[in-house]
Amino acid sequence: MSRTARTILQAVAVGWLTLAAASDAADLVNIEVYPPQVRLDSARDRQRLIVQGRAADGRTFDVTATAEVAASDATFAAIDRDGARVVLRPLADGDATLRVAVAGHVRELPLRVVSASSDPPLSFRLDVMPVFARAGCNMGSCHGAARGKDGFRLSLFGFDPSGDHHRITRELPGRRIDLAHPEESLLLLKATGGVPHTGGKRFAADDDLADRLVRWIAAGAADDPGPDPAVSVPQLVGLDLYPPSALIEGEAATQQVVAVARFSDGTDRDVTDLAWYGTNNDRSAKVSPAGTVTSGVRGEAFLMARYDTITVGVPMVVIPKDLAFQFPTEHDLPGATEGARTIDSLVNAKLASLRIAPSPVCDDEAFLRRVTLDLVGLLPTPDERARFLADSAPDKRRRAIDELMARKEFVELWVMRWAEILQIRSQGNDVSPKAALLYHQWLDRRIAANEPIDRMVRDLLTATGGTFDNPPTNYFQLERNTLKIAENVAQAFLGMRIQCAQCHNHPFDRWTMDDYYGFAAFFAQIGRKKGADPREQIVFDSGGGEMQHPVKGKPAVPKFLGGETPKVANRDRREALAAWITSADNPFFAKHVANIAWTHFFGRGIVHEPDDARISNPPVNGPLLEELGRRFATSGWDFRGLVRDIVTSRTYQRSFATNDTNRLDETNFSHAAIRRQRAEVLLDTLAQVTDTKNKFPGLPLGARAVQMADGRTTNYFLTTFGRATREDVCSCAVRMDPSLSQALHLLNGDVANERIRQGGLVGRRLAEGRTPGAIIDELFLRCNGRMPTERERIETLLTVLDSTDRKQALEDVFWALLNSPEFIFNH
Amino acid sequence: MPHALGFSSRREFLHVGSLTGLGLSLGGLFRLQAARADLKSFDHFVGTAKSVIHIWLPGGWAQQETFDPKPLVPVEYRGDLSAIDTKLTGVQFSEKLVKTAQVADKITVVRSMTHGEAAHERGTHNMFTGYRPSPALTFPSFGSVVAHELGPRANLPPYVCVPTLPAPDAGAGYLGSAFGPFVLGSDPADGGFTVRDLALPGGVDAERFAKRQQLREAVGRHFQRLEDAGAVAAMDAFYERAYALVSSAEARAAFDIKAEPDAIKDEYGRNQAGQRMLLARRLVEAGVRFVTLSYGGWDMHGKIRDGITNTLPPFDQAFAALITDLDRRGLLDSTLVMASSEFGRTPRINADAGRDHWPKVFSVVLAGGGIKRGQVYGASDTIAAEPADSPLSVADLATTVYHCLGIVADKELMAPGNRPVEIVDDGTVRKDLLA
Repeated sequence: MSRTARTILQAVAVGWLTLAAASDAADLVNIEVYPPQVRLDSARDRQRLIVQGRAADGRTFDVTATAEVAASDATFAAIDRDGARVVLRPLADGDATLRVAVAGHVRELPLRVVSASSDPPLSFRLDVMPVFARAGCNMGSCHGAARGKDGFRLSLFGFDPSGDHHRITRELPGRRIDLAHPEESLLLLKATGGVPHTGGKRFAADDDLADRLVRWIAAGAADDPGPDPAVSVPQLVGLDLYPPSALIEGEAATQQVVAVARFSDGTDRDVTDLAWYGTNNDRSAKVSPAGTVTSGVRGEAFLMARYDTITVGVPMVVIPKDLAFQFPTEHDLPGATEGARTIDSLVNAKLASLRIAPSPVCDDEAFLRRVTLDLVGLLPTPDERARFLADSAPDKRRRAIDELMARKEFVELWVMRWAEILQIRSQGNDVSPKAALLYHQWLDRRIAANEPIDRMVRDLLTATGGTFDNPPTNYFQLERNTLKIAENVAQAFLGMRIQCAQCHNHPFDRWTMDDYYGFAAFFAQIGRKKGADPREQIVFDSGGGEMQHPVKGKPAVPKFLGGETPKVANRDRREALAAWITSADNPFFAKHVANIAWTHFFGRGIVHEPDDARISNPPVNGPLLEELGRRFATSGWDFRGLVRDIVTSRTYQRSFATNDTNRLDETNFSHAAIRRQRAEVLLDTLAQVTDTKNKFPGLPLGARAVQMADGRTTNYFLTTFGRATREDVCSCAVRMDPSLSQALHLLNGDVANERIRQGGLVGRRLAEGRTPGAIIDELFLRCNGRMPTERERIETLLTVLDSTDRKQALEDVFWALLNSPEFIFNH
Repeated sequence: MPHALGFSSRREFLHVGSLTGLGLSLGGLFRLQAARADLKSFDHFVGTAKSVIHIWLPGGWAQQETFDPKPLVPVEYRGDLSAIDTKLTGVQFSEKLVKTAQVADKITVVRSMTHGEAAHERGTHNMFTGYRPSPALTFPSFGSVVAHELGPRANLPPYVCVPTLPAPDAGAGYLGSAFGPFVLGSDPADGGFTVRDLALPGGVDAERFAKRQQLREAVGRHFQRLEDAGAVAAMDAFYERAYALVSSAEARAAFDIKAEPDAIKDEYGRNQAGQRMLLARRLVEAGVRFVTLSYGGWDMHGKIRDGITNTLPPFDQAFAALITDLDRRGLLDSTLVMASSEFGRTPRINADAGRDHWPKVFSVVLAGGGIKRGQVYGASDTIAAEPADSPLSVADLATTVYHCLGIVADKELMAPGNRPVEIVDDGTVRKDLLA
């Protein structure tokens, strides 16, 4: 947990947090200096420093301009100051301590200078390639396009330095560089606007970027030395972006950032002036090419820096100046698990930093409808509602949750969700309907037994044998293309879309082509053959076959994403991979599964979309996701425990009604989200409230749409309302967006009209001698889980009483309810 | 804040929505696109085309047996159909295009269409989206981009598919199903043709429907007052569109092919090609912006002579009738008609007397909506194997069609993951195609 979060959390924990107006250095409770240590290792090396002050309520200030900076021994480095710009420059080898002070707050940090007199030649990869990235030359819309631009191509974001070197120096000899007159090189003249350039002037002729190109060309324009230049230079291993967070008050305040690249030989470089900067919310935080952030309107922004193949980001929050804000006092909910209380405190800590007051807990009716839909995919019956309302025990919500989670419909709902992730469907000759059914039954048994999720995924990823005998082998039948399998596995179980890296290094993520093909290599040795039954296929470890890296032209070595290269000789490569994915130490898996569960209950992930985690799409609440993942992994991968933590939390049980501070919040879970029922659940609830039965191919009359085993099975309603065909692993395959066809189908189609008629509910009730008023009440209870308001009762009743055909009029009320957002949405 | 305000703001939202044809702000759906001010953006201009009829010929039609016959080469390349003269001096079509030959002076035949995808799905993707298929992104079809950019008109859906969705590539891709086609699901050539859910259900007349609407208002008000969610507003917006469509006799009449005089039905041909094209004309006449209709199966790997003899004449009659009818009604200059296929077919007749997939050169026919009347654009080589003149890329074709509609194809739309994507990547407007 970050220091800010903890400070605020403590304030929240004692029940209140008042933020008064205050903003100068007098408010500071401490300062931090970034980077936290300085190492200079050549005559050219420089390091910029920033100083960030922090107030007790978490606000931060860039106080670099007023900081006193001094070294314990001034002989080793010079401290160059230009206003807020503080830069260290090497003088002589040696160690010292830097002392930074602001308004009485002091930080000390170590300074080391080595090789102060050496000026090594420029490296193509380390010094020249960054120029093309910084100046935007190798962007997708410029020379980084697949066919290049205006006859000159660079690899997109520099994924192929050797190729770029060839294209610059040899593709058209004598054209792009001029060794005799480096300043006259076309490469330089185009970039500095010396000759017409479609891309315009990218930097000035006296810029450091230009200087780098000139010096490199003057020195012979060589690639890096060695038989394989790619490995002879130090490899970039990390990028640090400082400060790690900021909470800026008011508009037009600034915060400078510092970016430091770390290399495999232990050196680092200040790349503040070479990195590319971006933000996902310009309106709240703008960033200049020099890395100066300027605050705008209230909001959250994620500031990103990209250098070479690495992109990193830090969160920034902007709040209005002099905001009076009080976080509401909240008591523990009865029945909340320990995990639920942790969820609440982490969500509230984030809300407090944003100065957002969450909505109160919803009433019992709203709770019961919401939780019943979310846990079992049905609506509470009028009887269930009456029992729940009559219960006066303080922990009745917890008991309702436990009862719902014990129902078979709870299992069925999650089998459906996992069946989407595992893409269970029949498919031509590769997966027969029987195989798909067996696959579904296999999944159903696992979920019903609440088998630890890690074991289920491990069994799936390592499955061998017949598709009938060992149904999870169907996973490798449903997709037989090795690259696609790798992409699917990364997306389904790690929550990452690595597709882009098939063709180029991912511009907004960390994945390179090496990562991509290294990951795909785990699936390069899957063998397949026909079984005895012609409908059955057998999946086995063939022990041979490699994944070719298309740029390097040699086999890719199996390598975990962002991890090590395991030993895979004489074993099924998939076993090594499955062990890594499902390990409690895996940095992605537990968080991803936790986020899948979270998304189901909030309609929005902590990472959103839940299978699109990447640097440029950070979790909206990192500590929350970390904690959910940690608890899930250490609980023995207890999925039900995870669900119970979520639904017993106050965060889940909040009302959807908003207040002035959280009205615009759609991402931080400060109020309940209004979510359309998904296609299967909507059809099931339509059947439920109208007393009608569904009929689907291969399932008995009265089956629920949620129970359908085969993704290929569908009907017009389900397709129109966005049922996933399971052909695509993407969580976005479940469509929730509205369309004209949906509206027409509910208005005019057989789904509402026919079902009301078939179910005959209104006719039965009239025959039983119920009054129109009582029938209207029951229709409201069935569809909306609440009694009509006085006004609703009067308006509808008047319409009914005015009609010559009361049955028809009551059925029209029913129809109107089924066509209303209150029924169609969960809220 | 008082509840009443939430209520009125949403009403107001819907009101504004209906004023702007709902094309601009359907709540959260559109926020994604609207949020990014730094996207490459261009204003629409007034295009020459008000609508498009896209005639899709699935399977890959043979250029040699349609619009690019090669009568002078040996029979194993030429095939055993002959060529006939057309209204354009020196230009010949296949002998099965008798009627279309008579409107050759109103259309542009492109004989140099070219791309590199020889598989059906990939070629289809190219020709519906203007993009090569990508593993990372599902691109929207022309119709969906038009729906997104221009929105609905005259209470009708902006993009309609006749009779079904011809391919997944004809969908909305990353734009989301709100911009997907309205799919008829029923063939206008069938006697019992009706459009699903368009007519009020049995027993519900206009009066009862009005009462139902009132009741829906009455039971919806309470919830509406409490919530202010974009998702609900977006759904409501589609309800408003549905009400408008269901309640507008004129809009519904567009789908009523029975209203056409028998003589017109006969002119188009009482078959799938004829009635689908006739319905397409009715739809664009009433205000639909983009109609995609599909006809026939053109994947003629064997016995291509028989296949063409069966499949092409109904197309010929219907297409000539469509062009003539549009022109007669003064609609041709504002309606762009495009007949296309995923690729062409191999230069040489194969052992089964058919032709196989060939994307290197094939033919596309364009007419109206700002397209030049009476020209052949580009050329294939002697045996229809390679473009010999003015090769037309998928991106350039798409860019030119968008240009006719007043859409700058260089504009960026927002794909998931905040990824800006140009409507068409790197295409140019082919001025020579334009009138």
